[in-house]
Amino acid sequence: MKSEIRTHHRWIFWLILISTLLAGCSGSAPKPETITVSGAFALYPLMTQWAEAYQQVNPAVRIDVTAGGAGKGISDTLAGAVDIGMVSRELSPEELNQGAFPVAVARDAVFGTLNAANPYLDQIMQKGFNQQLLAGIYITGEITTWGQVLGKPEVTDQIRVFTRSDSAGAAEMWALYIAGKKQSDLLGIGVNADPGILEAVIKDPLAIGYNNLNYVFDPQTQKPVNGVVIMPLDLNGSGAIEAHEIFADKASAIQAVAEGRYPSPPARDLYLITKGSPGGAVKDFMIWILNEGQVYVETNGYIALNPEQLNEMRSRLDIET
Amino acid sequence: MNVAAGWSKRVKSRAQTRKQRNRAAQRLFAGSAALIFLVFFAIVTMLVQCSLPLWQSVSPPQFITGRVWKPDQGLFGLLPFILGTFWTTGLGIAFALPLSLLSAVYLAEYARPLTRAVIKPVLDILAGIPSVIYGMWGVLVVVPAVQSIFAPSFSRAFPHAGLFQSGNPTGFSIISAGIVLALMIAPILIALMVEILLAVPLALREASMAVGASRWQTVKYVVLPKAASGLIAALILGTSRALGETMAVLMVVGNVATLPRSLFDPAYPIPALIANNYGEMMSIPLYDSAIMGAALFLLVIVLFFNILSSLVLRRMLK
Repeated sequence: MKSEIRTHHRWIFWLILISTLLAGCSGSAPKPETITVSGAFALYPLMTQWAEAYQQVNPAVRIDVTAGGAGKGISDTLAGAVDIGMVSRELSPEELNQGAFPVAVARDAVFGTLNAANPYLDQIMQKGFNQQLLAGIYITGEITTWGQVLGKPEVTDQIRVFTRSDSAGAAEMWALYIAGKKQSDLLGIGVNADPGILEAVIKDPLAIGYNNLNYVFDPQTQKPVNGVVIMPLDLNGSGAIEAHEIFADKASAIQAVAEGRYPSPPARDLYLITKGSPGGAVKDFMIWILNEGQVYVETNGYIALNPEQLNEMRSRLDIET
Repeated sequence: MNVAAGWSKRVKSRAQTRKQRNRAAQRLFAGSAALIFLVFFAIVTMLVQCSLPLWQSVSPPQFITGRVWKPDQGLFGLLPFILGTFWTTGLGIAFALPLSLLSAVYLAEYARPLTRAVIKPVLDILAGIPSVIYGMWGVLVVVPAVQSIFAPSFSRAFPHAGLFQSGNPTGFSIISAGIVLALMIAPILIALMVEILLAVPLALREASMAVGASRWQTVKYVVLPKAASGLIAALILGTSRALGETMAVLMVVGNVATLPRSLFDPAYPIPALIANNYGEMMSIPLYDSAIMGAALFLLVIVLFFNILSSLVLRRMLK
């Protein structure tokens, strides 16, 4: 009898040992509050800055940030996998109906890209692209050669058209700007992620693509990333490219977006979304972003929201919780 | 109470402890096995359940044979993706099979034990490289090579073969995906095939050589026929691995949802479809069901290949 009881004891002992060990893995120290963030590549660089700064002020909070495209940010948030989604496009009614609660936090823009070694670069820089040309390339597929772009039939080099394969805010904005369409209407070879499409354009002299502001411009040099030039867009419809339509450095591009000379789309608001209006640590973090956090916006190469919009967003966070 | 009675009692309780331990261990093992089975069951149930809404607007045959995929217009045709999957997998296998079979024969029949001991760990390392790294290598090396070397030279060498003509000016294509896939599955195939060849009894080889057959004749007439069904099973396992490979293929295949006509056309395999469009699922009606339906289809195909390979293996062992 006695030893039987002892074996029971032994089982209980093991059970307790194993469960304490397991509990030990998951967190024996006072658990820091963790905020998880995923989504748009466009917001990712700024969000990592915000997260770092916020964690310094609030050591009890941990913020995990991953990039995966706007669509992933929305799906993850609505599925409850992350607390905050980064979104670089307008939300659809379906997404709002499922409880997505968007708060605009900054602005940026999508820029077309060309390879710097494009053999026709000089002529392209004079003539420029416009929506009709881009629609021919990206939507209808009627324009397939650089000769058609330049109006020179003797040039038969084919355009290597690249687009995003993952669901991306940049692609939505690009399609919306070109012809009021959606990402699924864009033709071209699909490449995964913002850095991926940039790499594809860098590797091919005859390529065109598009990128978010903070991926085309090198944060160190403030110039377009080596091997890439910003696609000149004939913004005022004059039929030729003027000096103010060429963005050779980041400052001029940001200025054009801020002054509204660069159209919207492809300039756009960047949102953080939560499932339903946020509360607790998530809400505190978002309020911080709309106040103290705004100093990081322009230093990291984004465009600040105008003051009225910023106030509207602040009151939106306050009222709805 | 005499001494003998106490002794026997102790023995009895020891035996009981043993029995209890045995029972507990059995339960633990059975529980683990059951958990794995439950997970599989749960995945299948989820896929079936989540894809149900789709079948109300698209019938399964329509889904599988439809050629147009425009979710925002409610058009869900999986055929481009099915063909994309089979083209890339087929090409990957076509490249990997000769490479793996020849290496495996060399390693099992010709190589000295020292060579084998050196190559084996290298194969294991190759098999363990994350697929995203194969993908990166594909983008940086294979895609440019296909674009500037393979595509122009093949289309010049075979001007009338449609298989080698393409309007795709980039190297993101089925053939790039096939090459990357082949290099990914070759280490696994080689490792499996070496084991299978080594399982052929040594006595058979000795008998063959005793009657004057050369090493090559022995391989050709004795070892390979004996190992054939095992090699086929290995190949089928490799195929199901290739069918589900996502990241590396996604990075080099171009992701264009059209019916591929040439090796140099871009394609869009099912795993890439699922991985890329996970984000759009929430915003377009029926999109999530359609993705789940595609996943279910892929699962059924892979399952079919796995069952096939275990049937073949069982025949070999008989």
